[in-house]
Amino acid sequence: MEDGMEICKSSDRTASTNFCLQWSQWQLLDSILPTGGFAHSFGLEAAIQARIVSGPEDLRAYVILVLENTGSLLLPFVCSATMSPNLENWHKLDRMLDATLTNEVARKASIAQGSALMRLAAAVFAEVPSLKTMRDTSLGSGAVSFHHAPIFGLICGLLGMDSGSSQRAYMFITMRDVISAATRLNLIGPLGAAVLQHQIALVAEDMSKKWMASYGRGSMPNGSFA
Amino acid sequence: METGVVVVEKVGGRSTVSRCFSKYPLKFIIPRKVGPSKTDAVWIYSLTYGGGIVSGDCISCDFTIGDGCTTVLTTQASTKVYKSLGSKCSEQVLEARIGSDALLVVIPDPVTCFSTAKYSQKQIFRVVSDSSLVIVDWITSGRHESGEKWEFDLYKSINNIFLEGDRPLFLDTVLLERGSVATIAERMQDYQVIAMIILLGPKLTHLQNQVQEDVKRMMSEQLHPPSTALGRYKRKNPDHCLTKPSFIASCSVFGPKGIGLVVRIAAVTTGSVYKFLQHELASMEPLLGVSPYC
Repeated sequence: MEDGMEICKSSDRTASTNFCLQWSQWQLLDSILPTGGFAHSFGLEAAIQARIVSGPEDLRAYVILVLENTGSLLLPFVCSATMSPNLENWHKLDRMLDATLTNEVARKASIAQGSALMRLAAAVFAEVPSLKTMRDTSLGSGAVSFHHAPIFGLICGLLGMDSGSSQRAYMFITMRDVISAATRLNLIGPLGAAVLQHQIALVAEDMSKKWMASYGRGSMPNGSFA
Repeated sequence: METGVVVVEKVGGRSTVSRCFSKYPLKFIIPRKVGPSKTDAVWIYSLTYGGGIVSGDCISCDFTIGDGCTTVLTTQASTKVYKSLGSKCSEQVLEARIGSDALLVVIPDPVTCFSTAKYSQKQIFRVVSDSSLVIVDWITSGRHESGEKWEFDLYKSINNIFLEGDRPLFLDTVLLERGSVATIAERMQDYQVIAMIILLGPKLTHLQNQVQEDVKRMMSEQLHPPSTALGRYKRKNPDHCLTKPSFIASCSVFGPKGIGLVVRIAAVTTGSVYKFLQHELASMEPLLGVSPYC
């Protein structure tokens, strides 16, 4: 009887940890989190200007291409940071990503969003004190640029999320931000945007699986090993 | 095991090939005299037997450009990658070390992958803080004049630049793969040529500024035509606003203190990219003896 109580208590504890994790996950993915996701349109504005995107059909194709690029380029960084959420690995990934984001606009947007996310996370997730310690150690050291993808993975890892979930979550916020840029640019209405987001989720899931499988053995897309 | 090794060093004050080795299917041609004798530059033409790469070929080159030397690495025609047999992929690997105050200029003709071809290329450049480097890396859709457009199975091109040992300065991979979501042709829309130009280092500062200004001007003309011209055009052709530009270029600086510039191009014709390269790189003539792509 006593043993039974113990098991019950500990499974309660596990359950309550899991529930806490869910609240943190939802907050991390909530569009209300002020990380500056609205700061850039993932190239959508330029694509409209170059007449590559001019209506909802083009938009659908464009979002899928953005996700494909995110999958091949950024998911490996999210994955590695989630699996080894420590200072050394984060700094290494950040330097590598800084050399990989060769488009200046995308590089600056990644730094702006990453810095904002790290500042928020250090203040919000007080139960993980290492977030604040890592941020304080790195600020002003010049050793890191605070790129978004590794920081996102780092936070997920420290909150206890598994790497599959953190990578899907990264695809999710990317899709959400492109589609939200499209509504602000008047390419699609809010209802149409929600429908599109739900339809593309299936495609995004396939792409996440494909890219997770392709570097599952630790190989980074640029041929090096993380 | 390398199929080609070249070492360029200063001998008697001039850039000189001090070691050159190549074996099948690769061959180097190093003409004694390319430009006027006062310019100090070695030109190396890399060729493959049969004018292309067949399924399963592996070409691997190692270049060392000594301090203060200038070397141009180029081709005589486009690199054709023929149909793949089975799952075999053709590979080209280049590793180059560029010394202090040295300049390496890699200006090949484009790669053209035939239908079903599988091609993977990896170029690694190791530079120091005052090395200079020009890389042109480009691909066409295939024999597009006869309708073969983006019909290959795989094209992968890696260009990585490391500064002072292992510090990543520029890491780039282009991957075009026949996929389930959309064909390469659908993704490329009507564009037949994809090009990347990298200009890095102190010898190219002037060229970087010129290219940036030219690209800015070209694109503002392409994307926002002057209102009067647009008005005139509109009357004649109301669809003008819906057509995509036939030549898109973008510039980005990279590296500490913006020491590098990368230009990316998507174009409808190969000729327009040759014209752009000729025009933009013409000012390198004093350094190289002759103007690139002429």
